[in-house]
Amino acid sequence: MDSKKKILLIDDDKDFLMATKLILEKGGYEVFLAEDGHSGVEAAKSVGPDLAIIDMMMETWSEGFNVVSQLRTSESGKEIPLIMLSAVDLQGPYQSFEPPDNLPTVDMVLHKPIKADDLLKHVGHLLEK
Amino acid sequence: MVEKNDAEHILIIDDEESILDGCRQALEKSGYSVITTSDGPEGIRIAREKKPDLAFVDLKMPNCSGMDIIELLSKDLPGIVLIVITGYASIVSAVEAMKKGAYDYLPKPFTPDQLRAVTKRGLEHRFLKIEADRLREEKERMEKNFITFVSHEMRSPLVTIQQYIESLKAIAGDDLKKEVLEIIERCDKRIQSLQDLVEHWLDLSRIENGTFSQAKESLDLKELLEKSIEELNPLCARREISLVSDLRDDLPNIMGDHESLLRVFTNIIGNATKYTPAGGTISVDTDFDDYYIYVKIADTGTGIPQDKLPFIFEPFYRVKGKAERQKGSGLGLTFSKKIMEAHDGKIEASSKEGEGTTFILKFPRLYEL
Repeated sequence: MDSKKKILLIDDDKDFLMATKLILEKGGYEVFLAEDGHSGVEAAKSVGPDLAIIDMMMETWSEGFNVVSQLRTSESGKEIPLIMLSAVDLQGPYQSFEPPDNLPTVDMVLHKPIKADDLLKHVGHLLEK
Repeated sequence: MVEKNDAEHILIIDDEESILDGCRQALEKSGYSVITTSDGPEGIRIAREKKPDLAFVDLKMPNCSGMDIIELLSKDLPGIVLIVITGYASIVSAVEAMKKGAYDYLPKPFTPDQLRAVTKRGLEHRFLKIEADRLREEKERMEKNFITFVSHEMRSPLVTIQQYIESLKAIAGDDLKKEVLEIIERCDKRIQSLQDLVEHWLDLSRIENGTFSQAKESLDLKELLEKSIEELNPLCARREISLVSDLRDDLPNIMGDHESLLRVFTNIIGNATKYTPAGGTISVDTDFDDYYIYVKIADTGTGIPQDKLPFIFEPFYRVKGKAERQKGSGLGLTFSKKIMEAHDGKIEASSKEGEGTTFILKFPRLYEL
């Protein structure tokens, strides 16, 4: 029986997906990729991941939030740990960003680029819980 | 763009019917659309409603003052070109009208050709003014977009390259030769400094176009300096530089942005570490008088030649030239100067070659009124 945990990675930067996938695979996980929010939500349904990592800024700079709230209301994403990735430019568009009242919660926010050790450590912790 | 296919609208306000008729004929013949009225208040109403491109206003009308109409319309309708019609005897009042916002004047009596010439020139002036406004807005918009563009489009690839380097180290790190790992580390460092450069450049651009966010609050400079010193202590220890401070306990608070001032202090002290040899000293002192609060950061480093001192706050300026490049974005001092200016403060440098450099940061002392 394959006991590898499944991780879904959603980011619109193909190369970032590839680089992060290599790190996670080295850590012994099975990794699934999605290049936009919509296919990410679809992939979650078909894959049933144990954890999902979502980039905050994709097509629009708040696309990640949409994905998270869709995952949180779906059967496949309701219970799993979610990590939000940000390359946030605090002086940029987020300056005027007012989070909606029903902002979906993620388990962790990590800043890009992520050190390989940190990524594996955090993912490991979240999956242990 | 100004729409050229539509006839330009011209309003004429004059109490003499014969002038109205004459002007209408001359201007309509040239393809303009003309509205006339012999009543001042009616003229104002029409102008507000129809927003003509150009209006002629007779200064001398029996029931109202042309001067008032000029003043009112130039305030109400910034795009309109106003031309006063005046008798020969009243050049003085024509000048007054121009001070109040009229663009030109047309002395009575005038010929149809004179009328058309003045009209043509007035409309050209309007066209150029609109074009200039449009270009200025376009320029501002492009600057803003460019900053957002750079912020996203330049960071993303850098972040991705760094992530690849991380994955390279993770999947093959143990198998790679020491030399190869060293090359990878060097790539990583160079990318990090490129990223710093992008960040610093973005900050400067934002300070310049006024979108850099700063939250001013009452600040204890001693606390801020201690933080900065703490941050740089390990670096100084590594380079065998002693970092000493003498910070007054009774220093009055200033109004400032915590984050950006911390960066200024760290910049200046960090800068000093680059030019101070092992065994040297960097000292941080504070002081104040009735008007200013001073932060003095002095090093016993190589110093800056007198003829180069005036340029050190310029972006990318390097005292030693390319041969002895120091690490850093080359924007640290420029950033510091701009931030000090944003605090109504000043930064000054003095130096003696071979003895060291002293930076003095001056903040205005504030009093509770």
